Amino acid sequence: MRSGGKKPVRRGASQRAVGWRRFKRNKTGLAGLGIIAFFTLLAVYGLFLDPVPGRSYACLSTGCSNLPPFADWNHPLGTETSGIDVWHEIIHGSAGDLYVGFGATLIAVVIGLAIGALAGYRTGFSGAVLLGFTQLFFVLPVLVLILLFSKILLTFVARGLGLTLIVLILGLFGWPFIAFIARGEILRIRELEFVQASRALGASNFRILFRHIVPNLLSSIIVVASLAVAGNIVTEVVISYLGFGDANTSTWGLIIQEGANYANTSWWIAFFPGIAVVLCVLGFNLLGDGLSDALNPRLRE
Amino acid sequence: MPQTILEVEDLKSYFYTEAGVVKAVDGVSFTVNKGEPLGLVGESGSGKTVTALSVLRIVPHPGRVVSGKITFHDEDLLAKTEKEMRRVRGKQIGYVSQDPNSSLDPLFTVESQLTEVVMAHEKLSNEVASERVLKLLQLVKIPEPEARLKAYPHELSGGMRQRIAIARALAAEPDLLIADEPTTNLDVTIQAQVLELLKDLERELEMALILITHDMGIVAEMAQKVVVLYAGRVAEVSHVKEIFSAPKHPYTAALLQAVPRIDKKRELVPIPGSIPNLITPPSGCRYHPRCGYMIDKCVSIEPTLERVGEGREVSCHRWRELSLGESS
Repeated sequence: MRSGGKKPVRRGASQRAVGWRRFKRNKTGLAGLGIIAFFTLLAVYGLFLDPVPGRSYACLSTGCSNLPPFADWNHPLGTETSGIDVWHEIIHGSAGDLYVGFGATLIAVVIGLAIGALAGYRTGFSGAVLLGFTQLFFVLPVLVLILLFSKILLTFVARGLGLTLIVLILGLFGWPFIAFIARGEILRIRELEFVQASRALGASNFRILFRHIVPNLLSSIIVVASLAVAGNIVTEVVISYLGFGDANTSTWGLIIQEGANYANTSWWIAFFPGIAVVLCVLGFNLLGDGLSDALNPRLRE
Repeated sequence: MPQTILEVEDLKSYFYTEAGVVKAVDGVSFTVNKGEPLGLVGESGSGKTVTALSVLRIVPHPGRVVSGKITFHDEDLLAKTEKEMRRVRGKQIGYVSQDPNSSLDPLFTVESQLTEVVMAHEKLSNEVASERVLKLLQLVKIPEPEARLKAYPHELSGGMRQRIAIARALAAEPDLLIADEPTTNLDVTIQAQVLELLKDLERELEMALILITHDMGIVAEMAQKVVVLYAGRVAEVSHVKEIFSAPKHPYTAALLQAVPRIDKKRELVPIPGSIPNLITPPSGCRYHPRCGYMIDKCVSIEPTLERVGEGREVSCHRWRELSLGESS
């Protein structure tokens, strides 16, 4: 009955492929991904192609300062009184904010995974110490500490680092949340039978942890991470808005802070970057929601 | 004289919980011979699985092996270091766990999970290893083995998954296979196939087999020797034929009465009560609160496991006087 020639080899559908198939069906998740793609393109354009540099005061000399939006198509979203173009600043700001969002989250995930994995896998004393250390961060007034650190470090220690410093600080304060989730997931996964099975067949602790447990918790970490990116962007805006950020790098928070001083006369300065923040954060939240639907086995039909 | 592969003597494994010390396995002894599949029988909570995990020394926290002696191939397993034990697990003793749905890692293909075990115990080239993996799939009679190599567990049926789990347990060619309720989560028809497979493998590969089950039907089908556990203790040891025709322990008799028989029309008799709390087990004989033949002695004095015949041991004060056969 079999036809001659090679039978087509059926590729198995990996969890990843199944997850993507499920994700594609989720309209809000795709919308989130679209929004993020849009801002990523803006960021790339701003970094490599935009002829107008960030924080450019060119309009001061050409007399196009403090233009309202939609009045001059060279400056579609208006300009600040200092001559800075709002639209171009949003473009450059998306590079800055995505850098902060992704960079800080990456650091937090790496530290959080390592500490959470150990705290979850070692049930004894060392696990309790790690857990306690993690929980310490939940009672600290983190935002105040972040502001304090960025002020001190930006003023005295690492002036040139700019946004990278903010990335480091947010990353170093952001990991406990990830660690907490990682620990919880590990406590769940380590009781699953395939973990016991691989131990029964002679796998070492190290192998079980990194080959079987960590890959199985990545799906939940990916969901949390996409929400963390949104959170980090908001925190960056807060830092800059309160004047604790780096005043030489374009970020949305910085323009909003500048615009807030002119809120009663030039509303557009703060308004449009504010829209950008809301959209971008919404995008990451929608993505996180879509991912959690696609990757969470408990929601599977 | 059959060759003894595993000897467990007075094994005690306790769980140190907040509520107290749970004596899950409390003085279990038995031997496993090559060519004599052993059925380890008992209700849920009788200590079957913990006994198996103790042999592999992977009793989960907060439990641990407290005392006893486990001799495997003339070596004391309890005296081995963790590193030495890792070479016993998988390589010398294979383990198939209960639920085939969760005993395979959902993220990896069949091929990579089998290769992992093959490679963990032997340094082989990739070609030799993948050949071995393919052979394993043929050994457990997976149809179209080449096509299944790249499949993920969720793409396979329950019976197929259990075959893969068995293949994985056999990957490093162990001398002893422990199958912990390998068919509990399978359909009846699939159950029969998997049991048939285990039987064939036991004969073909000449390995010893411990089959853990609560199903007396499976015992009749698969085992030659039976160890009945109750509340962490051995109630009775027997050849499979005799245990069905003439059980010596009231608990064994009760277990048999609770199994439907197609050849005899009779009421099913459930065992009254449930397995006791193992933090404070009953005094004397642990079965006495549920036993229909209980006398005063049973409450105060704990019976010991007595040798009552060729390959038969029973732990009951009244085994001489009681006749518990099916016909009675």
